[in-house]
Amino acid sequence: MANVLYAVIQIFVIIMLAPLVNGIIKKVKAFTQKRKGAPVLQMYFDLLKLIKKSVVVSDVSSWIFKVTPYIVFSSAVAAALLVPVTTMIMPVGFAGDIILMVYILALGRFFMMLAALDTGSTFGGMGASREAMISSLIEPSILITLFTVALIPNSTSVYQIMGSMKAADFPLIHPVYILTFIAMLVIIIAETSRIPVDDPATHLELTMVHEAMILEYSGRNLALIELGAAVKQLVFITLLVNIFIPHDQFISIAGIGAVAISLLIYLIKVIFVAVVIAIVEVSTVKLRLFSIPNIAALAFILSFLGFLQYFILGR
Amino acid sequence: MQINSLSEQGTLLIAAITLFLLAAFAALILIKSHKLCNIVSNVICIIAAFFGVAASVIKIFIDNTSTHINIFTSTIPFISIEIEFDKLSAFFVLCLSVLVICVSIYSIGYISHYYGKRNVGLFNFLYSTFILSMLLVMISSNAIFFFFAWEAMSFVSYFLVVFESEHVENQKAGKLYIIMTHIGTAFLLIAFMIMFSYTGSFDLRGSSTAIPEFAKNIMFVLFLIGFGTKAGVIPVHIWLPRAHPAAPSNVSALMSGIMIKTAIYGLLRFVLCYLHVENTWWGISILCIGIISAVLGVAYALMEHNIKRLLAFHSVENIGIILIGLGVGFIALAQKNEFLGALAITASLLHTFNHTLFKGGLFLGAGSIQYATHTKNIEKLGGLIKKMPITALLVLCFSLAICAIVPFNGFISEWLTYQALFANIIPGEAGINILSILSVAALALAGALAAACFVKLFGISFLGRSRSAAVENAKEVPVTMNIGMGILALMCLAIGLFPTLFIRGVDKVVSGMVGTSIINQLQGGFIIAFYPLSISGNAISPLVILGAIVGVILLAIFVIRIIGGKYIERKYGTWDCGFESLDSKMQYSATGFSKPLRIVLKILYRPRREVEIEESASSYFPTSIKYKVSTEQIFEKYFYAPILRVLKSLSRKVKFSVQTGSIHAYLVYIFIAVIVLMLYNRLV
Amino acid sequence: MSDFLDVLSVLILLSSFILMANKRIKSYIQTFRIQSALIALTAGIMGIDILSKEGRFDVLIVCVIIIAMKVIYIPHLLNKAYTNVEYKIEKDFFLNIPILIFVCCMIVVFCYFSISNTGGINLGIINLRVVNSVSLILIGLFFMISRKKAIGQIIGFLVIENGLFITAMLATQGMPFIVDIGIFIDMLTAVLILGIMVFKINEKFDSIDMNELKNLRG
Repeated sequence: MANVLYAVIQIFVIIMLAPLVNGIIKKVKAFTQKRKGAPVLQMYFDLLKLIKKSVVVSDVSSWIFKVTPYIVFSSAVAAALLVPVTTMIMPVGFAGDIILMVYILALGRFFMMLAALDTGSTFGGMGASREAMISSLIEPSILITLFTVALIPNSTSVYQIMGSMKAADFPLIHPVYILTFIAMLVIIIAETSRIPVDDPATHLELTMVHEAMILEYSGRNLALIELGAAVKQLVFITLLVNIFIPHDQFISIAGIGAVAISLLIYLIKVIFVAVVIAIVEVSTVKLRLFSIPNIAALAFILSFLGFLQYFILGR
Repeated sequence: MQINSLSEQGTLLIAAITLFLLAAFAALILIKSHKLCNIVSNVICIIAAFFGVAASVIKIFIDNTSTHINIFTSTIPFISIEIEFDKLSAFFVLCLSVLVICVSIYSIGYISHYYGKRNVGLFNFLYSTFILSMLLVMISSNAIFFFFAWEAMSFVSYFLVVFESEHVENQKAGKLYIIMTHIGTAFLLIAFMIMFSYTGSFDLRGSSTAIPEFAKNIMFVLFLIGFGTKAGVIPVHIWLPRAHPAAPSNVSALMSGIMIKTAIYGLLRFVLCYLHVENTWWGISILCIGIISAVLGVAYALMEHNIKRLLAFHSVENIGIILIGLGVGFIALAQKNEFLGALAITASLLHTFNHTLFKGGLFLGAGSIQYATHTKNIEKLGGLIKKMPITALLVLCFSLAICAIVPFNGFISEWLTYQALFANIIPGEAGINILSILSVAALALAGALAAACFVKLFGISFLGRSRSAAVENAKEVPVTMNIGMGILALMCLAIGLFPTLFIRGVDKVVSGMVGTSIINQLQGGFIIAFYPLSISGNAISPLVILGAIVGVILLAIFVIRIIGGKYIERKYGTWDCGFESLDSKMQYSATGFSKPLRIVLKILYRPRREVEIEESASSYFPTSIKYKVSTEQIFEKYFYAPILRVLKSLSRKVKFSVQTGSIHAYLVYIFIAVIVLMLYNRLV
Repeated sequence: MSDFLDVLSVLILLSSFILMANKRIKSYIQTFRIQSALIALTAGIMGIDILSKEGRFDVLIVCVIIIAMKVIYIPHLLNKAYTNVEYKIEKDFFLNIPILIFVCCMIVVFCYFSISNTGGINLGIINLRVVNSVSLILIGLFFMISRKKAIGQIIGFLVIENGLFITAMLATQGMPFIVDIGIFIDMLTAVLILGIMVFKINEKFDSIDMNELKNLRG
């Protein structure tokens, strides 16, 4: 029963919240540029509209092109199942750890790159090849970061990690976690196609990566991919806020009320990170494609130094 | 023939050996009729492999004793044919037999394009003997017999590599292969001699306590180089990417799927079971070689556009991953951490089995592509998914498996390797923990690069528009070829979804060697593989995840149907920026796809590019542009070329000063040699 | 407080990595300023701690001197030098940036190895700060090796000095006051001399590339 409740909360919160994060980021960006900007809920309207539209499919493409939106979306949601939005409900024996989470997201990315090549479009190939480069360079940092935070509970389970962080009260005032936190922030920016690495708002062939891959999509397929990307972004943000800024230890009551409060604080934290991402986006410029290895190197040294600090501290 | 303990699996094993021999001779007898010869020989091989499967499954799961069969004991010392069939042998025989079943089914269709063109009888004779020699390598219990089987395996595979000998590059590949493999064998021979000089026996079941510490260290290094050459670890990998593409595809599948694994078998048999791991640095050196092979193997694979060369470099990568597991296991065993040792070796053996399945399948897939289009160059393919839908689906499955993507089997073994590395971090001394986290980084990098590489392989060859006329005429391959690959794909999926069942088998093998079983700490039956430290949260369940993915897909379809109504689709051309004549030349090519990574990792590749532009009246519309990019094999240039230069100049000197050609000089050499030997005899 | 000092020592180390990853001379100066501010913060925290425990206030004075010199005066001097040279961006490196950063990582690993076996300071928490600070010294040296332009050399020199200072500070609660003052004055002199040298090199060779100094050989 707890498992079902957990899965329902997880899926509902993440899917419903994911477009909001994009809306907030866009709104903050608009404010900093002295624009009024689209409504915060714009992405919901967009998705609804897209779902109602008919679909245009390239005549070169095969079945890969049609199944990809579903696989991208469902793999992101499956990854979301492994990253609890609140640690108030612990599912019993739900099976998956951080390594599995990374590799489920890899499933979605694999199909996304295939679909980009499927239409025979030059844009698609370009996006896929750039995505392949960025993801390969950032992958080692993700695993080192996650393994470093997994060292204290001595477990690769996300619950155990979050549990051990709750015991630490304020993990950010700690040499290991401050480094891994920054590393994770860099990883989020790289993985979710944000500005120094990719520009979510552009359709210029010189700069686009993610947009180039999904250029051929339309209608409900596009809606699923957009939502999938938003869910993936929220999964990473959830990982960040619930590991490094735990809050459930401060809630003293129990029951449904506690879950509600916990979710509310979670929402505030997510909004906070969204604002931070938006500020990073407006205050930096899109990097040249071949400067991205420098970002990846930064993420790598941050995570690796974090790991080293753990051992230098002598536990 | 004298058989000591004739249990049922002993009988089955003897039956398998006999049947492989029969298959070889049947091929020779029926050499006149190509079709008949091919079918009969392959069917006998399949039956023999079924016997092999039965024998090894019984051995692994039921029987706990070791079967020893003494086939032939001669009066000449040391030359006796003794078979030792224990769980480790059984595991590798199982890998071999499973792959042989699928490859033989595949061969029935695949070899049909040789009918009337080549000597099919000879091919099938070599094919069966090759399998037999590998089988004998895995079950021999005597170093000399092992050595003979090993040599037979090398020679027969050499003939198979040069089977399509009309191409000059195939001859070159064969030459390089036979040279490299014999260099490796020379190291093994020295190790065997050291073994004999201390223990007075070539028996592999014997005890190694008589060998002193330093000799053991030397033997380890010799074994590492000798077996490493066969496994194709970097830097002695250079034969592998040449020999595998040269051989016919079903043979490449066997070579990559199982022949290079005999080296893993050798390391386990000689280092773990015979020498016993005593020094931490053994494990560390294996781990380092594993890291280098994993990363560089996939990095070089990324630059290849010949399907089979690409796959061969991936074999280097996967051997690296297997060695990472093995290295962690050896480190842990040297530190008397038997649980971690068992976990790591389980991971590495499971990856061995998995790699047998998916790499065998991928080579068969490459064979299918070559069968249908007569090209190995992926730049000439494209759009094959419409011509060969079943092959495409199967190759996609194998690609997902090799990239360690859920829910296929590659993920399970990589997950276990990650867990072993993770467990190795915590108690690790300074140095080992850093090495472990670097291996984690290497494994992650290799995984992501492999994904990039297989997106390239699948995306460029199966998707998009066709790039040449060869593809336009392609047809789906004969059904037997797809059956052979299909069985492998199903097994990949089965291991991915029900890992515990297979881990149980591997665990029985490992507990026989290490003495600790991890299966008691693996809970959850057939569905859920728990992380074996009894931490309940630390678990994965691919089946539940697959269920979740399917469930979400159904939910999405349902919700979208309700909101958006009926699915209306319009077919239209790919977006062409209004240019209106998009053709296959404007697609991304494999070279273009790998370009960003080529530039980022240019320190590895040292790419060179040449652009030739033929100008016309307007500089905006040149008549032709030739773009040529080439990468450098740094190991060949900076490691092998200097050695070769030194060797050549040395041999030139020898030619003039020692090998004078005068008969008297040679007689003097013999005379001096005899005198020195007699002196040695007197003095020592 | 110990947690704060740990985090600060990590952040100071991090700032040296950021310095290494930079190409713009303006950002060198900016990063150096941030690093010095972090060091001043460390000194400030320690100074308050020592003041409340032992009643000494010399560490606080050192803190003020750091702010005055390293956060305000020296960056100001460097900025002046910067406006006079035409090379604003370092273009050619001996090695590219990811590799430089990777080498820096290896430096930290190496320091960890070397220091974790040193007797006396191998006591948990001090160890961490000492490793980080000694790495800072070596990274400063490596920064000097990796940069060709003269301002890069000055910054590298200053980072080494920062590293020495923070090592002494964290390992032994601060050197005697007079030693600190002496070092500061030495450093100031060095920066002034180097600053003049930059002008001279720039005048002489139309460039501040240190490799040009090879031409001074007979």
